[in-house]
Amino acid sequence: MTDAAVDRLPPRPAPGRFTVLSGLGALVLTVLTARAVDFDPTGLVTDLTRPNSVVEGLLDPDWSQIWSRRSRRAFIETLQLAVLGTAGGSIVALPLALYATDYGAPNRVVQVVLRLINSVIRSLPDLLWALLFVSAVGIGALSGLLALFFFSIAVVSKLTADTLDGIDRGPIEAGVAAGASNTSMLRTAVLPQILPSYVSFVLYGFEINLRASAVIGLVGAGGIGERIQFFQGRGEWDKLWGLVLLFFLVVFLVERISIVLRRRLV
Amino acid sequence: MTTVDRGAVTRMPEPTREWWRPVTWAVVIALAAWSLWGLDARWERLLDAPADLWDLGRLLFSDMAFERTGDLLVDMWESIAIAWLGTIIAGIVALPLSFLAAENLAGRFTTLVVRQVLNLLRAIPEVILAIAFIPLLGLTPMAGVMAIGVGSIGTLGKLFAEVIEAIDDAPVEAVDAVGGSRLQRLRWGVVPQVLPEISSFLLYRFEINVRASAVLGVIGAGGIGGTIAQTLQFKQFEVAGLGLVIVVVATIGVDIVSGAIRRRILRGPSRG
Repeated sequence: MTDAAVDRLPPRPAPGRFTVLSGLGALVLTVLTARAVDFDPTGLVTDLTRPNSVVEGLLDPDWSQIWSRRSRRAFIETLQLAVLGTAGGSIVALPLALYATDYGAPNRVVQVVLRLINSVIRSLPDLLWALLFVSAVGIGALSGLLALFFFSIAVVSKLTADTLDGIDRGPIEAGVAAGASNTSMLRTAVLPQILPSYVSFVLYGFEINLRASAVIGLVGAGGIGERIQFFQGRGEWDKLWGLVLLFFLVVFLVERISIVLRRRLV
Repeated sequence: MTTVDRGAVTRMPEPTREWWRPVTWAVVIALAAWSLWGLDARWERLLDAPADLWDLGRLLFSDMAFERTGDLLVDMWESIAIAWLGTIIAGIVALPLSFLAAENLAGRFTTLVVRQVLNLLRAIPEVILAIAFIPLLGLTPMAGVMAIGVGSIGTLGKLFAEVIEAIDDAPVEAVDAVGGSRLQRLRWGVVPQVLPEISSFLLYRFEINVRASAVLGVIGAGGIGGTIAQTLQFKQFEVAGLGLVIVVVATIGVDIVSGAIRRRILRGPSRG
């Protein structure tokens, strides 16, 4: 072994065409999008470091909001919206997912229609649902409930459908061989397999809905969001943050409990 | 072993009984009942809701204002731009944080603190962040970018940290063995191993953020959501309907393209 051989580093492998192209693509996209939103880093820093009531309120939040009657009612309404929306949506999501599978669909037309419904429901975000229901049904908690209902269907049916694709097909065959109808086959051969995952998706849907239920009020769909907008309009940031932080403390606790439960289930 | 216990064959298996099942059901039903009674939702309107929805659907989609397609596409592009820049900013902040949140790189105490910070950030919805950024940055797309950016740090940091904890230790040891500094250890021992998964998570988050940024406009943080909210408010349903169609088509389109790139990143070049 000569010294030259030791000193020489092995040739560095050249990056592949895909790496170069996607890197360049990402760079070009970043430049184009920065132009589209007038990205200005120095202006951003001065805007964010200027003394302002938003940050002052965040550093010194007013916790007394929980004792104000209106805020407390909005708070409870938010929780109730999340519970009902999740419960209703999850119940509907289960058959929607079951009858959209290859083995559960009574016929091809039903399957295609259900899949179409599923993907359209899924492609709209929570706040847009709320906006639509507010303009159809009017301002109030009912719109929020309907929005969360559809939103839960989207979340739970998507996750359940993914689980349904991966189940053991043996029990299905057994059910069909024993002459079970489509529905009783699904009930006895498929449901027991996915039930633990399904319940954990429902819990996950509840977490998401709880968070969504705080914001749908911003478009007039009930709950805590209406109070948030009220405080924002009056510039009372200390009260706004007090309410928001309390709410997310609740969300955080619910999430911890739900994660523990979900771990036990799956 | 020739006789078969007939009773055992015809008897159905005993259903499992666990104490927590009835308790869980009772809690769930009690919660639902409490919500049902407590919610002041004007239930009588629920009966009209299907008809109302049908009417709205007809107003939105029967006669869409196709002459406005160009404007709406510009708005949608702004939403996509907000989502992309927000994701990039979040990625830049989340990567160093994730090194500190990974148990195989940082100390126990550091990981604990950083993880709680990430959890906290994860709990706040983008819309709330946008409400906070709008007074600081004005009703501009930058408020949306910052809301998306800050809102994505928590999830990205957590996912990145999980990827980092799953790496192979050998390359890291190799860098240590040749006397690499801490920074070189990250650059040559860790980053090459995690880069594919991290970039695929970034793309995945971008897909989620396109939906989120389409919404942020509703409260004034730029993008197509604002146009949809305003046109709905002023009952220009033919424009709002087309806007919704564009949102749905664009999000599905972004999902398809970004999903294909993600699969290519994780799978590597296809052979044969």
